[in-house]
Amino acid sequence: MGKTDLGPPDYRTMLPKVIEKNYGKWKYHEILKPGVLKHVSETGDEVFTVRVGSPRLVSIDYIRDICDVADKYCDGHLRFTSRYNIELMTPKKENVEPIIAAVQKLGLPVGGTGNAISNVVHTQGWVHCHSAATDSSGLVKAIMDELYPYFISMKLPARLRVALACCINMCGAVHCSDIAIVGVHTKPPKVDNSKVTALCEIPTTLSSCPTGAIRKDPSNPKSLVVNDEKCMYCGNCYTVCPAMPLADSVGDGVAIYVGGKVSNARTAPMFSRLAIPYIPNNPPRWPEVVSAIKNIVEVYAKHAHPEERMGEWIERVGWESFFKLTGIPFTEYHIDDFTHAIDTYRTTTQFRW
Amino acid sequence: MTEGISEELKQKVLDYLGTTSKAKNRDVARAIEVDKALVDKAIAELAKEGKIEYLYLGTSYIQLKQQ
Amino acid sequence: MADQDTPLINELEKGPWPSYVKEIKRAAKKNAAAKDLLGVQEQSFKDRITHWKHGGIVGVTGYGGGVIGRYVDMPEEFPNLEMFHTMRVNHPSGWFYTTEALRKVCDIWEKYGSGMTNFHGSTGDIILLGTSTQNLQPCFDELAENGFDLGGSGSALRTPSACVGPARCEYACIDTLDICNNLTHEFQDEMHRPRWPYKFKIKVSGCCNDGVAAIARADLSIIGTWKDTLRIDQEEVRNYVKNGFDIKGIVIDKCPTKALDWDEKKKELVLRAEDCVRCMHCINKMPKALRPGLDRGATLLIGAKAPIVKGAYLSWVLVPFMKMEPPYDEVKTLLRNIWEWWDENGRTRERVAELIERLGLKAFLKAVGIKPVPQMVYKPRANPYVFFE
Repeated sequence: MGKTDLGPPDYRTMLPKVIEKNYGKWKYHEILKPGVLKHVSETGDEVFTVRVGSPRLVSIDYIRDICDVADKYCDGHLRFTSRYNIELMTPKKENVEPIIAAVQKLGLPVGGTGNAISNVVHTQGWVHCHSAATDSSGLVKAIMDELYPYFISMKLPARLRVALACCINMCGAVHCSDIAIVGVHTKPPKVDNSKVTALCEIPTTLSSCPTGAIRKDPSNPKSLVVNDEKCMYCGNCYTVCPAMPLADSVGDGVAIYVGGKVSNARTAPMFSRLAIPYIPNNPPRWPEVVSAIKNIVEVYAKHAHPEERMGEWIERVGWESFFKLTGIPFTEYHIDDFTHAIDTYRTTTQFRW
Repeated sequence: MTEGISEELKQKVLDYLGTTSKAKNRDVARAIEVDKALVDKAIAELAKEGKIEYLYLGTSYIQLKQQ
Repeated sequence: MADQDTPLINELEKGPWPSYVKEIKRAAKKNAAAKDLLGVQEQSFKDRITHWKHGGIVGVTGYGGGVIGRYVDMPEEFPNLEMFHTMRVNHPSGWFYTTEALRKVCDIWEKYGSGMTNFHGSTGDIILLGTSTQNLQPCFDELAENGFDLGGSGSALRTPSACVGPARCEYACIDTLDICNNLTHEFQDEMHRPRWPYKFKIKVSGCCNDGVAAIARADLSIIGTWKDTLRIDQEEVRNYVKNGFDIKGIVIDKCPTKALDWDEKKKELVLRAEDCVRCMHCINKMPKALRPGLDRGATLLIGAKAPIVKGAYLSWVLVPFMKMEPPYDEVKTLLRNIWEWWDENGRTRERVAELIERLGLKAFLKAVGIKPVPQMVYKPRANPYVFFE
């Protein structure tokens, strides 16, 4: 047995010199232009950062390309952001434009700073996940091709965070994003009872269901049945019991939630809430999903006050106005009927027409 | 990690594992009536010494190394 | 897989945003599994369904996690994907790298895997996508020889992550990178040997802008804050105003507690410190003039999670203010107490927040030895159903 429990490499061995020297001493920063930051230290030192968009699902040769740029201009250091952007840092202002030229030559965009749409946090989708209800990398590519002008500029009222999860397990913080795109199944799992005994632990499978829709077949305790009426297609049973697949080429699709945030600036963090319950999958470019998102972004950009995040704007104008302005129909699906539903029902006579 | 873990405690863990096919760390701590944090450390050391091995069945169990 | 065989995904080579399809094609030139990956992606686009199956248990010696088993459901058509496991590699705090370290990871992955990666996964790990069962151990051994280790998966501590923090951000009120690194090293056993009811995530943000979305997804969110008053450089405030900055519209009117005023006569920003809730908005907008205070620490919040099973939660205040100095014993003890109680009482696949909801916050606070304070709630209860002891 080789080495175990080493833990991650020490970040201190990875820091560029200017960062090491000014660690904890930064005084302020400026955004020089979209994608370019300048941080100034109390020591007087400066570091310039070029933020670069990335598709996240990349080959090792892509990483080597980026390393070449970092070797040439950044003394062999770089970092990534929590939204998969690459950050190339240098104390030399004269390196900024050559870095931009070098990454653009690789076909990569510079941006994602300030009041922009930064990279889309997303999951694996059809490229690697067993429970995906939609693709991730493909849908993100289609969306970002359309939202690209917002990545390379800073013209929105505030920052706008987009995230995508390919099923409602929601790896990543999609449920608190300005726009959250979520893969949804719309058909109950099809139980393959010939495999249940071999693949599944029955008590775990029963308790995995949030609505109690799964029970043992009264006539055969080694079989399971699903009460379709109670199933809301979360797929939690499938995660613990592979004999209950629920992916469906016709039923699977995408839901869009809006108005979430994680930052505590001004208002408390909030969940994203349902705007569009279901749009069928339509690869390779999901045009219906892309145009729905574009519409929401444009209506927000037009109506929100400066510094208002999506959710803050909607809270100010009211959800009735959100549905009216975006032209999105409000349906029975928008009314919550899960655990904390009552908290969302309006208990005041204050509203708008 | 190694300070404070006595050979005596490690032997106690081994003795207990001899009485059962597999156990969770928590079961061991309860059976030999020793603080779980200490037992966790003793178990980690025993694994490094190759005297016990982990068994993953939904959750982690430990057992005496099969000869 | 020739180009004409993948008409659907070829569409995604077009457009201004960088294309992952091009990336798979690059890897496919060198690697048969990556070539098949193009095929299975095309197949999914055609069928509108995933072609991946549940993982069996695969891994490396001594670990119960860090590897996700993955198998394609059409192994005859895509023989090189019959096994296509993921390895999660723990990133250095803050995702800082030397090119030397990154190139090493690339070389190892060229040798043992498909050559496809995620930089990074949602939790923060480097994701190495696609290798066979027999390559897992040698790949891991070589990663370890070069200073890398696997991250967490399953019912274990997941790889903790942190924002850029004091490395390159003036807002950082705590040393996010050191806290993240220190806790990750301390809890290697908890990360690599899953033995809890379900997953547990720790995320560290330097300020309440919360750059790693701790409050939305970390069972324990550690978020930097300060206790004294924010620092104002009036000269720089005047410079902002002189340069046409709309201080009233963008800062004063947006202050959630109306703690700020602009004194037009004196040309001074007036702060009513007792009203400030440290939301960072004014600092975000005037970073040259305003800075966090100096009595710094963290707010610890508990319970965030995505919807599975009982609905999503944001994490809520557990400790309004804790000093964060190495070796961080206070937070380590708290974590151990939380895990002890959860492990003892939790059901399978029950996150700590769901257990707290089931057994009550009162019971939880007692178990971990924390006294109730008003900062934990928006408001006290309205109902009369109190259990007196």
